[in-house]
Amino acid sequence: MDYAVEAERLVKVFGGVKALDELSFHVKKGEIFGLIGPNGAGKTTALRIVSTLLLPNSGRVGVFGLDVVEKANEVRMILSYLPEEAGAYPNLSGLEYLEFMARFKAETKLQVKELVKEAVTISGLGERLKDKVKTYSKGMKRRLLVARALMGKPKLAVLDEPTSGLDVLHSYHVRETIKRYVENHGITVLLSSHNMLEVDYLCDRVVLLNKGKIVAEGSPKQLKEKFESKNLEEVFAKVVKIA
Amino acid sequence: MLKGLGNLVLKELKELMRDPKILIGMILMPLIIFPIIGGIVGASMEAAKEKLAEMSIMVWNHDNGSYARNFTRYLSNSGIKIHEIEASTLEEAVSLMLNYNATLLIVIPEDFSKNISNVLEGNALVGAEVEVFGVFGGGGVFEEIGVSVIDSLIESYNRRKAPNPIRLRKSTVVKGEILFGVDPSMVAGLMMMQSIMLPIMIMMLLTFAMQIAATSVAMEKEEKTLETLLTLPIGRFTILAGKLAGSIIVAAVGALAYLVGFSFYMGSFIGAIPTEELNLDLASLGLAPSALGYVLLGTSLFVSLLSALALAIILSAFAENVRSAQSLIGFIYPLIFVPSFVLMYLDISLLPFPLRILILAIPYSHPILTSKAVIMGDHLTAVLGILYVSAFTVAILYVAAKLFATEKILTVKLRMKSFRRKKKTK
Repeated sequence: MDYAVEAERLVKVFGGVKALDELSFHVKKGEIFGLIGPNGAGKTTALRIVSTLLLPNSGRVGVFGLDVVEKANEVRMILSYLPEEAGAYPNLSGLEYLEFMARFKAETKLQVKELVKEAVTISGLGERLKDKVKTYSKGMKRRLLVARALMGKPKLAVLDEPTSGLDVLHSYHVRETIKRYVENHGITVLLSSHNMLEVDYLCDRVVLLNKGKIVAEGSPKQLKEKFESKNLEEVFAKVVKIA
Repeated sequence: MLKGLGNLVLKELKELMRDPKILIGMILMPLIIFPIIGGIVGASMEAAKEKLAEMSIMVWNHDNGSYARNFTRYLSNSGIKIHEIEASTLEEAVSLMLNYNATLLIVIPEDFSKNISNVLEGNALVGAEVEVFGVFGGGGVFEEIGVSVIDSLIESYNRRKAPNPIRLRKSTVVKGEILFGVDPSMVAGLMMMQSIMLPIMIMMLLTFAMQIAATSVAMEKEEKTLETLLTLPIGRFTILAGKLAGSIIVAAVGALAYLVGFSFYMGSFIGAIPTEELNLDLASLGLAPSALGYVLLGTSLFVSLLSALALAIILSAFAENVRSAQSLIGFIYPLIFVPSFVLMYLDISLLPFPLRILILAIPYSHPILTSKAVIMGDHLTAVLGILYVSAFTVAILYVAAKLFATEKILTVKLRMKSFRRKKKTK
């Protein structure tokens, strides 16, 4: 089977500390795949390696068959990455920011216009996009960035805690946006989250990481059944305690 | 009303003083920089004094009278080395100055003794006129000292023979050309003004640019926009070049605004000096750079700016946020401030050899040295400086490009964090 992401025995060490310890996972095309785990489990490190930001000490990652180390530039053409708690340029307006980002993906002015139009719809920020980013609330900023990450229908969207720190309404908007976008356009999403309700709602499959290793893997339903838990939060607590 | 203030102040002091960047950048650095600058300037002034002791003056005496002999003897007794010369023309006499390594030529006219006698006997009010020609060698403190020595010697001679039998008529020799009636100290003063203005401008330009570049990278790191940029399908060197170009443009606009403002400031008090040489400017004296000189000066500034920006970007990669990036940049300031302050007042040739090497080794000395060299038509010094700074710039750009090409641009901070974590767990 062709996978969107194939991570094999990834090891990443920072100053003697093993952030990833022989981590392997596979993301199917068109699914929403979640990495969950406590702080410091290695989720962001894994996402950064997939996104060509970091190099693994050993192991390999393929994105749609392209090696993230050998073919980093080709991977960047088909991937979109949203860092955790990322910001945008405060002195640009939301529209200017989207145009700036669209110019890297599009070849013609018309394509830029189309990409921005799509992002405007995804963000749902309307007229506020004409204001400078520094006047946005955290939730508005995140919606702008999610729109940026999804515009142009990347084959793989890597989203690091897409709703972290957002209020209920903004979280709801972001979650629904991701869900609808994947359903409508068939893109693949690899995300990390601390919100187990969100993971349960969004993800087709998840892996639970602890200390850079997989401690549980499956669909939310399978995991709940396996660990005889009412929800993923309970699964998480049980698995991490055991580990 | 201010209950709790002491507690707050204590917390602020602990928080700020325990930040090693603030401690080093704001407290330790000034305690190190200023003594260094003071030491260099002091050593250089000593060298200037020694040079003054070696100063020699050429005397071209056209008069065989007793007062002319007496005046020459007076000059010899003052401790200054005197060379009496014979020449058929003034141009020949001026050209001999190089042979004798003399900075001043005193011409005693034919009727010197007669005129002095007339004044001393009360038969005339106008005394003897002695012409002084000073060779202008490029500015600095020493240029002004040389002429002021003659001024004080004549004043002292006049006091002895009162009422003022000798008047001085000063002229300047610039690049072999005699500028009649132009006081060498006036030229040196103008040049000094230039020597102060240019280093300040260069100092400001470099510090502005570095702050802009460091802030720009640190902001990208702080806001995590850099992570997004690094995952876009564009070359890493393109990102670096974009940062450099943006910083250069903003810094150049800033420097231009500064230069215009500073010119008004300087002009406001230059206009208030009531001198007959008010119309003097360095261009009319042949002391302005040629077209090639301007090109060399521009090139020197550009490569220095580029290396400073690349250095700032490298340092800011180690910063966690904008504040720490600006503190880190502070560590480079000595490399800009020390040569600027030293070369503002002194010619590099006056520095003791080890200090001369030190100043030459600092890349940010070279735009200042180039600015002085091109004015004197010394294009070789400018070219050598540009070559040196270019080599340094290429090396720094290479390191910056390497940093951007790898994950280090993101991981340096991570490593520092994990190092701290390790320390804590011990």
